[in-house]
Amino acid sequence: MSHRTVLFQGLSPSRSSPSGQQCQAEPGPEPEAEPMVGRPPNPRHLEPPRHLEPPRHYTEPEEAQLVATLQATSVKERSRFGGIFRDHVVDTRQYLDHVRESTAGTQGRPVKLFTNHFRVTSRPQQVTYKYNIDYMPDIEDGKVRTELLLQHKALIGKCHIFDGSSLLLPHKLLSPKMELVSLLKKQVVKVTIEFTSELMPTSPDCLRYYNILFRRILKMMELEQVGRNYYNKREATEFSDHNLVIWPGYVTSILEYETSITLCADVNHKLVRMQTAYDLISALCDGFPAKQDLQEQVAKQLVGSIVSTVFNNKTYRVDDINWEETPRTTFKTSDGAEITFVEYYKTRYDQVVTELNQPLLISKGKWKKSQRDTPQEPVLLVPQLCNLTGLTDDLRKNYRVMRDLALHMRLDPEKRQHELQKLMNAIQTNKEVQQELQLWDLKFDASFLSFSGRILKEVRIFQGRRVFDSHPQFADWSKETRSGPLLNVKSLDHWLILYPTGNYRAASFFLQSLRRVTPTMGISMREAKILEVSDTVQSYTTALENHVSSKTQMVICVLSSEKKDLYDSIKQYLCVSCPIPSQCVIARTLDKPQTLMTIVTKLAQQMNCKMGGALWKVDTGLQNTMFIGIDCFHDIVHRRKSIAGFVSSINQELTQWFSQCLFQESGQELVNGLKACLEAALKLWCKHNLFLPQAIIVYRDGVGDGQLQALLDHEVPQIESSLKSVYPKDSGVKLTFIVVKKRINTRFFVESEGRLRNPLPGTVIDVEVTKRQWYDFFIVSQSVKDGTVTPTHYNVIHDTVRFTPDRIQCLTYRLCHMYYNLPGVTRVPAPCHYAHKLAYLVGQSIHQEPHHSLASRLFYL
Amino acid sequence: MEQNRECNSMDNCEVPSKKVIEFKAPVYEQRYYFVKNLVNRHGLRKIADLGFGDATLLWMLKYHRCVQYLVGVDIAARPFEWGGGRLSPGVGGYIIPRELDLTITLYRGSAVQKDSRLCGFDLITCIELTEHLDSEDLAKFPEVVFGYFSPGMVVISTPNSEFNPLFPASTFRDPDHRFEWNRTQFQTWALDVAKLYNYSVEFTGVGDPPAGAERVGYCTQIGVFQKNIAKATESSISEPEEHAPEEHVYEVVYTTSYPSLQQSKYFRLTLSSESVKAIGLMKSRFLRGLRKREGDRVVPLGSCTPQFGLTEAQRAEIEQSPKPYSVGEKFYVPLERLIIYPKVDHLVAGSMEKLRTILAEGLRLNGDQSAVQVELVDYQTQHLFDEHLISPVLES
Repeated sequence: MSHRTVLFQGLSPSRSSPSGQQCQAEPGPEPEAEPMVGRPPNPRHLEPPRHLEPPRHYTEPEEAQLVATLQATSVKERSRFGGIFRDHVVDTRQYLDHVRESTAGTQGRPVKLFTNHFRVTSRPQQVTYKYNIDYMPDIEDGKVRTELLLQHKALIGKCHIFDGSSLLLPHKLLSPKMELVSLLKKQVVKVTIEFTSELMPTSPDCLRYYNILFRRILKMMELEQVGRNYYNKREATEFSDHNLVIWPGYVTSILEYETSITLCADVNHKLVRMQTAYDLISALCDGFPAKQDLQEQVAKQLVGSIVSTVFNNKTYRVDDINWEETPRTTFKTSDGAEITFVEYYKTRYDQVVTELNQPLLISKGKWKKSQRDTPQEPVLLVPQLCNLTGLTDDLRKNYRVMRDLALHMRLDPEKRQHELQKLMNAIQTNKEVQQELQLWDLKFDASFLSFSGRILKEVRIFQGRRVFDSHPQFADWSKETRSGPLLNVKSLDHWLILYPTGNYRAASFFLQSLRRVTPTMGISMREAKILEVSDTVQSYTTALENHVSSKTQMVICVLSSEKKDLYDSIKQYLCVSCPIPSQCVIARTLDKPQTLMTIVTKLAQQMNCKMGGALWKVDTGLQNTMFIGIDCFHDIVHRRKSIAGFVSSINQELTQWFSQCLFQESGQELVNGLKACLEAALKLWCKHNLFLPQAIIVYRDGVGDGQLQALLDHEVPQIESSLKSVYPKDSGVKLTFIVVKKRINTRFFVESEGRLRNPLPGTVIDVEVTKRQWYDFFIVSQSVKDGTVTPTHYNVIHDTVRFTPDRIQCLTYRLCHMYYNLPGVTRVPAPCHYAHKLAYLVGQSIHQEPHHSLASRLFYL
Repeated sequence: MEQNRECNSMDNCEVPSKKVIEFKAPVYEQRYYFVKNLVNRHGLRKIADLGFGDATLLWMLKYHRCVQYLVGVDIAARPFEWGGGRLSPGVGGYIIPRELDLTITLYRGSAVQKDSRLCGFDLITCIELTEHLDSEDLAKFPEVVFGYFSPGMVVISTPNSEFNPLFPASTFRDPDHRFEWNRTQFQTWALDVAKLYNYSVEFTGVGDPPAGAERVGYCTQIGVFQKNIAKATESSISEPEEHAPEEHVYEVVYTTSYPSLQQSKYFRLTLSSESVKAIGLMKSRFLRGLRKREGDRVVPLGSCTPQFGLTEAQRAEIEQSPKPYSVGEKFYVPLERLIIYPKVDHLVAGSMEKLRTILAEGLRLNGDQSAVQVELVDYQTQHLFDEHLISPVLES
């Protein structure tokens, strides 16, 4: 998970899936910087780093949703809901006096909304009893724990919910503490059932048990559990051409919101690849006859990917390939016998390993944050018996695959409702399910929850002397922005263009077009120095070394194709060793006359921003306030350090941003780095404005489930204490800290002409599905053409500015209009998105701290 | 009422507090492997396990290619515990389907109740079951299992009490055991039963006694009963249905059926998957190698056969078949070539017609249905642009 890094890794092992990629159903097609496949022409993003990297190394919000990867099941059921539940019981509102009465705003035009939540209309009204279950010796496996406990089901009764470590019963057991003996294989296991507490019907802990019960119900409905979610294999869709199958499924949660408890259900898809690791290796064998090339390629394609074993459906992350050994290698079984892999799989699983010369895959075991320090026995796997999961780079780059998948997985509001209604109907009509629900007196509403939201006014964009509003439906101003001078232009006086041999045409097209589009924007440019290079890293770097001077303002590199190593080397050189803003562009993208102008216009704007210019601004209505955005990148493939981007505003108009990076060792907290970043940010703000800001507003993205308390306990106090150390006593500096969440399952819909549709950009929701103990709200800020829009959740956890709901909602929405790589509204406030881009570039390509001289420019756009 | 054992893997005969005896593999595992080997050796198709407990034996048996029906019966079976568990096919079962169908059904019921759904099996196993039966049930047991269910084979395992002195505890191996027989007791009972119901029985066991104590025999004694064939020919197939009217007393607690190549959907999926893989390899060789134009076709000059995963002979045969070619942006692989690929050949058993009909359901064939048509080049996504802007990977 790239952008949901847990910053307090030591504290919470809650999100431990190695793939981390929640296979969210829906490629929520937000018009963010990175457009989705199959989207209408919208050259939103000219420099294409994504062209250049193997995308399995990261999860972009949109990509992640398309990429359905097997998720590792957490070992113990009890840890599954931990994260969300831990967050949901944190009462952050208790300290926020100014919203004691209400966290709902009033501004904007009311609109009737629907959401994919079903109200729980009935639930146990009696006290229930919670028992703690202990095992002697301790048992790790959740299933075994359940099995051992259920050996005493006569005692426990039919009606029970077990989460792996505690048991919820509707009745009291005869004795508060019982020691029972269960048998596991040849071992006696002492099971102690001890009464811990009575749960009131309103206790939030009850909800956790209802969720476990609900998962059991999904199981009963013959949904196949893969990782955390449940899939319907009977409704699989085949993509024969691509050897892919998609299973539809659901992700559900029962939680308490403002006025009621609801079941939130969303559609989810599982991508199944009809390919084993051996298929992949043999295809590569054919393409790379040289042994060394082959090994390199196989490692490149397999290492870091998740495979699932054919025979018992366990998932493993491939950490290495063992070329020395084959399935004929022997190993010691638990009883000490030497046996070959071939014999082992034959006797145990009746699986015939036909290819005796394949290498073996090495997995160092599951990647669990909590266990990272304990060395694990590596596991050897036979490629022929390992299915590949998730998408490969090749698949992801394959236009047809992505188009077909997107078409299938992207559900519009109507289809989404239809699917969810189907689930609800099935629940209501399944006899067994109803019996089980009746035991607990649980009932659900049959249709979507409905309530009123508000649509905020369009935001006014100021670009020099020109003023325009963002389009009410498409949340876009690309036409307006390119038809006049930019807000703040940088002239191109000393600049270089490098192009690889054979791509002169592309380079000259680019130059000609640039000459045509820059006058309208107000950019003046002198002749560029044009250099031909050969298509190698060495050639590019040598040319740069020889021709870059202290005066060089911008380097443009035309690349012949998407080569990550070339892109990375150029970026490393120009971001670290020789800090100059740079723009890479792939020759092919300059080849199409019909879109050339649009693309070059976009490139010119992007280059202008990288050099420190500005495109437009919006009025936030706040003075003397510094905005900070934080997001994280987490390299799950190489298990490198996590990187947090820390981006802070420099000027009052929010057109200049100061970008810093934090490298975070695994298990280390962000706290110390935060202090240094904040101090540097304040210093620069002060230098620019001649005084310190009166308020600091932090938008914190990249927070994993279960981290809320940690933010309250560590990050917020750290920022406060840093402020104390910088500001004079009684300065009265204010701080607002907002947690931003993009990956949520809640969706909103409006009804018009009898159909459900996406709400308009600027729709704010602060009732019903927000939480009583939080100062939170949702904004649908972006517009999507296909599929269902994903709202963004904001949770104000600290607020000494004392924002009213109207003001903070309006401010947040306005900040979504400030991201310069997109003349449109983004899903998160601009500082967050800048932080994301920065962390991503550093994590993916540069791997070191960018040179400080670039920090006050948006060099990473 | 009798009590089927709760969990057949969990008998505690190997849990002495002082470790007096250590078996190389746990005895419960040895018992399961005994059944596994038996199933494998005889290629048994339809198997029921009475008192399946935690379903470990069923789980071990589900991997056998020959097994097509697995049934478990346990008095303590509960619906909830099985869904999505290890008896389900899982993702792997869908990606690489079995050759033959497999249905697994679990019932709640007792080994002394008659249920016609248990009739006509190849094998019924009663692993560590009989010793949990009280005398009344033990008396009914042979009539139900041998007389009524009347399977081809019965395997009964039970503790050998002669072995018990080697354990530190002097009582029964499990508090729920009603009795533990010595070898003579067991064999006498078994021979009587066999005689009555026209079975022959052989005795063996698992859990070797330690050196010097060989005289006590195996830890677990096993009787393998085989229905006498002479009788079986006239009775086994038709008889149960004739004399047993449908009698359903067991309650189904779980049932699942596995995807298999016998089901058209999974056969198609597997065949097209194997074909697509073979075509993919040919295509990448075609694109890498030299080729020439012949009329509107572009044909390869070199070989399009992968070096890997094929024998010399197979490669030679493939080389002699019609070559793949391209026309415009499409790549064609003649079915005559495709069918030589061992995995494809195996699936359709050499039938060109079958290959053609089935592939046509999921993939595209050319006009005269002699070749599979796929795209020659994979178009790369352009994250920036839309459809009209995509460009081929291969730039000439």
